Amino acid sequence: MTPRAVRDPLDTTVEIETPEHVRFRYHVAGPAKRAAAYLVDLAVRGVIVVFVGLLAMIGFAVDSALSHASMGLMLLVAFVVEWIYYVLLETLWSGRTVGKRVFALRVVTEGGHPLRFTDSLLRNLLRAADFLPFGYAIGVVVMGRDPRFRRLGDLVAGTIVIAEARAVVAGPLHLDPPPSLAELRPLPQRLPLSGDELDAIELFLRRAGKLSRAREVELAEMVAPVFARRLGVRYKDAPRFLGVLHYRAHEHRSSSMGAPLGPPLVGGPSSAPKPPRATGVTA
Amino acid sequence: MIGARSQDEFVAARGADWKELDRLLSSGESLHKLDGATISRAAALYRSLCTDLMRCRAARVTPDLAAHLDGLAGRAHAALYGAQPFRIPGVLAFFARDFPRALRANGRLFAVACALFFLPFAVGLLGALASDDFSTRVMPAQALEEMAKGYSQGFAGGRDAGTDTGMAGFYVYNNVGIAFRCFATGILYGAGSLFFLVYNGLVTGTAVGYVMSVGHGGNIWTFMCGHAPFELTAIVIAGGAGLQMGYALVATEGLTRVTSLRRAAPAIARQILGAASMLLIAALLEGFWSPSSLPAPIKWTASGVFSLLVVLYLALVGRADAASPVAPAAPAALSEARS
Repeated sequence: MTPRAVRDPLDTTVEIETPEHVRFRYHVAGPAKRAAAYLVDLAVRGVIVVFVGLLAMIGFAVDSALSHASMGLMLLVAFVVEWIYYVLLETLWSGRTVGKRVFALRVVTEGGHPLRFTDSLLRNLLRAADFLPFGYAIGVVVMGRDPRFRRLGDLVAGTIVIAEARAVVAGPLHLDPPPSLAELRPLPQRLPLSGDELDAIELFLRRAGKLSRAREVELAEMVAPVFARRLGVRYKDAPRFLGVLHYRAHEHRSSSMGAPLGPPLVGGPSSAPKPPRATGVTA
Repeated sequence: MIGARSQDEFVAARGADWKELDRLLSSGESLHKLDGATISRAAALYRSLCTDLMRCRAARVTPDLAAHLDGLAGRAHAALYGAQPFRIPGVLAFFARDFPRALRANGRLFAVACALFFLPFAVGLLGALASDDFSTRVMPAQALEEMAKGYSQGFAGGRDAGTDTGMAGFYVYNNVGIAFRCFATGILYGAGSLFFLVYNGLVTGTAVGYVMSVGHGGNIWTFMCGHAPFELTAIVIAGGAGLQMGYALVATEGLTRVTSLRRAAPAIARQILGAASMLLIAALLEGFWSPSSLPAPIKWTASGVFSLLVVLYLALVGRADAASPVAPAAPAALSEARS
């Protein structure tokens, strides 16, 4: 077996194996999203400092003793905002700060567990090193060299920042208009497509509505000729062709494989009412 | 196709369980606060979900279903194997055992950090006493003037409460910040800790030396003696922890650099947390005790007591049950569900 065959696909996911011997995947958050979350946090911290600053102004206006106390309060708040803000929120909100909430990010340990107080303390104190010489320059360079986008603080604390996409189970895909007999006839019952290829087609079709028509065609044209050559068929409209392929594969999957060796179901696949997959589970 | 069923039938059959688990997880972040039966139920649902997930993987279900179950399993895993919740005994154990032990285990680098701080301190002190020229090379003349002016009067009048509060805030911001920076920059193969220890030692020594050279030595020493045992020790501890990070990167003992660093991380975290606690004590003393109008002999006696306490605490506390093994951390939610 070549090394290429066993290597994980190049992706920003991290796989975690549990004691139940189940593996599940997290999406690792990249520098851009994390920078955006950082800016939100920066704004929140700025607002806190300005607010306390305004309160302190009242203290300055009253008398000198109070002005010293106000100054002390302001410095205390500055300290909290600079060093404690992240630790406090990440500990209380299980790995999230305001900015991370906005962008659906979360800090977890490398084992996928929620991070503990000391993990958060280490990763956030190390910001002082990541920040050097200015603007998180070291941190960004270190992140760029790490497949899991960890900055120095993450390396020491053993944490990763993940993007929490709560996937919803979408409804079945509908091809509009439904494929005609003429379109389906040239296709074999069992398509010579791998599972990964079918997954790719499905992911493309689910995205298709959000793309412009030109982009849709451009993307579909990248794979449609490959499949057409393999099947020995011709097509006119690449996205439509992929839709028909998906239809054939799905129809195949939801009916005949239920009883792979038995006789064909009476009435055919399309007449059987489908259980409400779409409404069943959404997160 | 999962087993003998189509994907849609499978979802229809199992969907109710997934939704129940989802609801349990969404009800609140902390599963361990729910009652035992609910936790058991969540654990059972999680196990059945794990089975579902594996069957789905093997059967190549559509990517959206796989992603949904992935996400659900991830959240359930995080909730069930959650971190230990905050407990008071844990805090006590930290101060009574973990912190002093971690520091003693890092004794050699702590000694190095002491040398890196106190030798430049002595150089600064002696240099400033020898010549004003030395002082002005280390620190701006204006800052030195202000220091000297600040210590020109004794403490007979004390300070008002407002100023005390203000200065305590300043000490927290400035000194704890110095210690944290001293620690964090140690990740750069120890270079940052080395620099900040030497720099802060030199500057502090020079400032004290300059104030002594203009004749207010008694005032500044009397002021410093109360909080110095906590403050200077804590800064050196933080620097030592920083050096330990750098050392773990170099002396990897056959591990990768990152693994070596991770192995040292718990001990490092304990030291920096302990140092931060000591700096908090120091800031309170520096804000309220050191500038008070109490007579100098009382302050010096207190300083002696504080020093003795710090030394005894760091040297002796936590030794008694050193042989007893540390209990392995059990998954919090699961262990509570069992009891």
